[in-house]
Amino acid sequence: MLVRLDDVFAGYGGGDVLQGLDLAVEDGSVTCIVGPNGAGKSTVLRVVSGLLNPRKGAVHFDGEPIGGRDPGDILRLGIVQVPQSHGLFPNLTVRENVLMGAYVIRRERKLVKERYGQVAEIFSIISERGDEKAGNLSGGQRRMVEFGRSLMLDPRVVLLDEPSLGLDPKALKHVSNSIELMKQAGKTIVLVEQNVRFGLRLSTHGVVMESGRVLLVGEAAEVLANPEMADLFFGGSAHAEAKTGANGSPPPTTGEDTTAE
Amino acid sequence: MTQLIQTLVLGLLLGGVYALLASGLTLIFGVMDVINVAQGALIILAAFITWALWNETGLDPLFGVFVTTPLMFLVGLLIYMTTIRWIQGKPPSTSVILTFGLALVIEGVMGMVWTATLHRATPDYFNQSFTIGDIYLRKSQVYGCAIAIGVLVILYVMLKVTWLGRAIRAVSANMSSAKLVGVDPTTVAALTFAIGVATTGAGGSIAAVLYPFLPGSHYAWISRILGIIVLGGMGSLPGAVIGALLLGVAETMTATYISPQWATMVPWAVIMLVLLLRPQGLMGQKLREDVAL
Amino acid sequence: MTAALGFAGRNAGRLAVAGLLLTILVFPVISDNRYYQTIIILSLLLAIMASGWNIISGFAGYVSLGQTVFLGIGAYTTAILSLRVFGPDEFGQGGANPFYFIPVSAIVAGLFAAAVGPIIMRTRGHSFVILTIAFLFVMQLIVLNWTDLTYGNRGLSLPLPDWPREWGNLPFYYIFFGILLLSVAMSWWIRRTKFGMGLIAIREDEDKAASVGVNTPIYKVLAYIASAVWIGAAGGVYAYYLSFIDPRTMFDIVYSVFVVLAVLLGGRGTIWGPVIGAFILEPLNQVTNNDFDRWFGEGIWDANVRLIFFGALLMMVILFLPRGIIPSVQDIFRKRRESKMAAEVGARFERKPLTVVERGALEAREAPAGPLLEIRGVEKRFGGVRAVDGVTLAVERGSITALIGPNGSGKTTLFNLIDGTMSSDKGEIWFEGERVDGLAPYRRAHLGIGRTFQITRLFRQMTVLENVVAPLSSFSWRHLGADAVSGPEAERAHELLGFVGMHKFASHRAGALSFGQGKLVELAQILMLDPTLIMLDEPAGGINPTLIAHMEEMIRELNRQGTTFLIVEHNMPLVLGLCDPVCVLARGQTICTGTPDRVQADPAVLDAYLGEDFVLEQKAEVSS
Repeated sequence: MLVRLDDVFAGYGGGDVLQGLDLAVEDGSVTCIVGPNGAGKSTVLRVVSGLLNPRKGAVHFDGEPIGGRDPGDILRLGIVQVPQSHGLFPNLTVRENVLMGAYVIRRERKLVKERYGQVAEIFSIISERGDEKAGNLSGGQRRMVEFGRSLMLDPRVVLLDEPSLGLDPKALKHVSNSIELMKQAGKTIVLVEQNVRFGLRLSTHGVVMESGRVLLVGEAAEVLANPEMADLFFGGSAHAEAKTGANGSPPPTTGEDTTAE
Repeated sequence: MTQLIQTLVLGLLLGGVYALLASGLTLIFGVMDVINVAQGALIILAAFITWALWNETGLDPLFGVFVTTPLMFLVGLLIYMTTIRWIQGKPPSTSVILTFGLALVIEGVMGMVWTATLHRATPDYFNQSFTIGDIYLRKSQVYGCAIAIGVLVILYVMLKVTWLGRAIRAVSANMSSAKLVGVDPTTVAALTFAIGVATTGAGGSIAAVLYPFLPGSHYAWISRILGIIVLGGMGSLPGAVIGALLLGVAETMTATYISPQWATMVPWAVIMLVLLLRPQGLMGQKLREDVAL
Repeated sequence: MTAALGFAGRNAGRLAVAGLLLTILVFPVISDNRYYQTIIILSLLLAIMASGWNIISGFAGYVSLGQTVFLGIGAYTTAILSLRVFGPDEFGQGGANPFYFIPVSAIVAGLFAAAVGPIIMRTRGHSFVILTIAFLFVMQLIVLNWTDLTYGNRGLSLPLPDWPREWGNLPFYYIFFGILLLSVAMSWWIRRTKFGMGLIAIREDEDKAASVGVNTPIYKVLAYIASAVWIGAAGGVYAYYLSFIDPRTMFDIVYSVFVVLAVLLGGRGTIWGPVIGAFILEPLNQVTNNDFDRWFGEGIWDANVRLIFFGALLMMVILFLPRGIIPSVQDIFRKRRESKMAAEVGARFERKPLTVVERGALEAREAPAGPLLEIRGVEKRFGGVRAVDGVTLAVERGSITALIGPNGSGKTTLFNLIDGTMSSDKGEIWFEGERVDGLAPYRRAHLGIGRTFQITRLFRQMTVLENVVAPLSSFSWRHLGADAVSGPEAERAHELLGFVGMHKFASHRAGALSFGQGKLVELAQILMLDPTLIMLDEPAGGINPTLIAHMEEMIRELNRQGTTFLIVEHNMPLVLGLCDPVCVLARGQTICTGTPDRVQADPAVLDAYLGEDFVLEQKAEVSS
């Protein structure tokens, strides 16, 4: 497992958002985390990228413990996060925005130049509109610039926080293509998605969260096909769990006992 | 007509120098949300140092720029590490009060070392002018403006082309994203502050030639540069340049056509009008009164 | 004996202040020392300035660095009136006593504040501070250049005092003392009244204060006027005392900063802090000015060293003791007290039933026909994004209506448009048959709209009880002077706190509460307004299930007694069990409204939450 979270508790001062979360991400997979609002999905990403320190529990990357480390350190280890919104620097050009992705390796000029070339090839918008101010681009275009920026460090893991947010259908297509391209380049991707269908359809694995815990884990297609998905969003976990057990779907990986079958 | 053109050109020349002086203040504000009221005092400090060098060694004050700029950079770094660093994130009035105290301290130090009498660096070309047709342009003003523009260009290039410059612009636009790509906000803040103060080095050297000064002159300077950045938009470098040119012209026009005394009122009047009618200035971003969205 | 010591210890502060005042009162009787008298006179002046500054900057939180402008205005008013207007004739005969014009100085200062205040208090933070400095310098320059009236730089010489020589400076001494007492009495009175509580609310969170009905524009200007009048009066006396005034000394920026230092030393926002700070700083100032040369030899301590000393002192105070001596000391004692209290109260959560809700007034009100709240075609954009894109919805009287939708659908923005925190670009909002979309937030609170926030907003420095009493359901001039926490109000507040289960925390500082506790207090706060419509923004967010169940109970009970609710929530079980109708928002538009069952079954709603179907084809292409 490339990334592991074991019994993690984390929060923002008010109380713990993650309540004993267990998660394992396979190398090379595209894992989509879904769940109702307040479930703690974005919090998981922040714990992995180092923006939030877990209060309890362990976070491992490729066997190495990373819980509580500096975002800069985690960046150098190979984990990059693309934030939910307002991730770009609107006053910098597209080119400069992408270059900033390589900030921590800025001294290695040749490498930076090389990577920029590669990234510009994958995401054509970067070479096409490199000298424009990023603030002038549309939402979907900005998203792609952000993806490009995230690849400048040639990371092993890319964390995407709601990549579909605020995008129209056309832009969504570009985003799903981009994610596919990143996957083909060998990246392990963990995404959090509000748009459940969109997210699970691009992924290999799905994770359903609720109230800070993992409710359901499995292959993306199966999770999506699970009839209890609707129930989960409108009837709460008790409802969904009760049915899950009876159907014999993949056993839920949760931090505590679910309702008995 | 000649007088009008003369006044205009003079205003523009002065504006060029003012632009340099205001650039530091606006840079600091853009990155750190701190209004460094001591910027005026630092300008006068640099002026005194320039004067002392010229007085002791005969070094042309305009060449003094090469000494004062790095020196003030270090001074800025020192100030940041000992004081400003601790007030980041506090309410705006805190930085104003703190830097005001700093300004008083600097004024006192200058008074002790050089006494409260008028000083001015008067190199050979001091009384000479260029003549273009009917217009007289004092050499000191032309040289001063040229140097100011030179330094501004260097500053601009630095911001555009170097990694530090990008990091500075990134932090002033979006602090959390900057952190996400590994920028250390404290380092950037310290360097920005130091660079902002370094500009007073160059500006102060020029000011030493242009105007007579004493320790208490810093009020006049801070009022000018505050007026400029408010007009141009706090945090915007191009805004500072435009604001400076406009203010320079406004000052010379008022001095020539109304009276020199009223000219000192111009920056304050500008501040009041702008803050009340268009708080973001000409080119600044609207200061969003953020409510939970 | 020990009893006396105990008494002294607890009341040390009060005794110190009483001692100070008594000393000032009798000092001239005991001693003839003119030098010390002068120090006291100047300290009194600084104390008056500090006390005035404290009202606008300590209570209301609007930091002014140009307060000396009112000293100058007062000084010049008295001087001009006694010299130019009612002055002696060509032979130096006649002329009015400047003391007569002190009240005029006070009034003129107040008028300036009333005129300039509304203009400059439209800004906040950095801008406000800079504007106060600008105001000071502009006045200085006007006085300097309007030589016809003020003799500009040459200054004005006032007539010398006409009383017996033996009296010396005593008249000035006691008049300053009198003005100080008046100024402090006013501060004390303000602090005790609703007006003062409103100012503190504005300092803590101005927009929240507005949303609970505090008429912020008027309160701020009144505070500015209050901060100016006694300083104006003192200016008049000061002019007479000095016998000569000029623009630079009367409109002095350094003295302005000196005032700030005095208050910072003594304690911002306290009654006696400014006075104590002044009586520390001014004697220090005079002694360093006059005596250090004698003690330490010539030239060691001159004007420059003083600048350095006071500048450095200012920096130290703002860095290390930003709230001042008194509050910092109080903090130490308070923290100890609070940790003791927390241990006592414990973690058990208890709620008292709300026995009687005074809804008499509400029943008497003729309920007009039609929905309570109507939103028609409302739009709001941020940059290029249409957060709210033509929403039309109606909230029926007596209902518990839910507003749900995925992230980014515009729910909180819609709330902000309804309660007035933001203004819409297009569309209308009607409440109780009246159009409200142009009204300020405090007006809407007065009309009966109460609103809680996703991230709870309370006045952190106030106690829980004060927080609940702070909301105002109307504005009246008489009301300003009412007691901050009056009998009936305190009772009602206790009742409401009992209802939400926080009665044991009434004297806790609001800033020390946990997230869930804060939510409950915020609800009690809103209830104090007796609102017709309560808007709850994610009431169940971030709290444990037990507390959620309590929330639900409280909402039902309040609804039974006639309150209409509009709730934004993500917690589906809660919404479906509690609310009817449910209105679904997606991409800034309403896509469905109806009973919970209908909404649950609607495929469009499911799509909005789970995501659109179109991607199916594309994915099939890419993966094969």
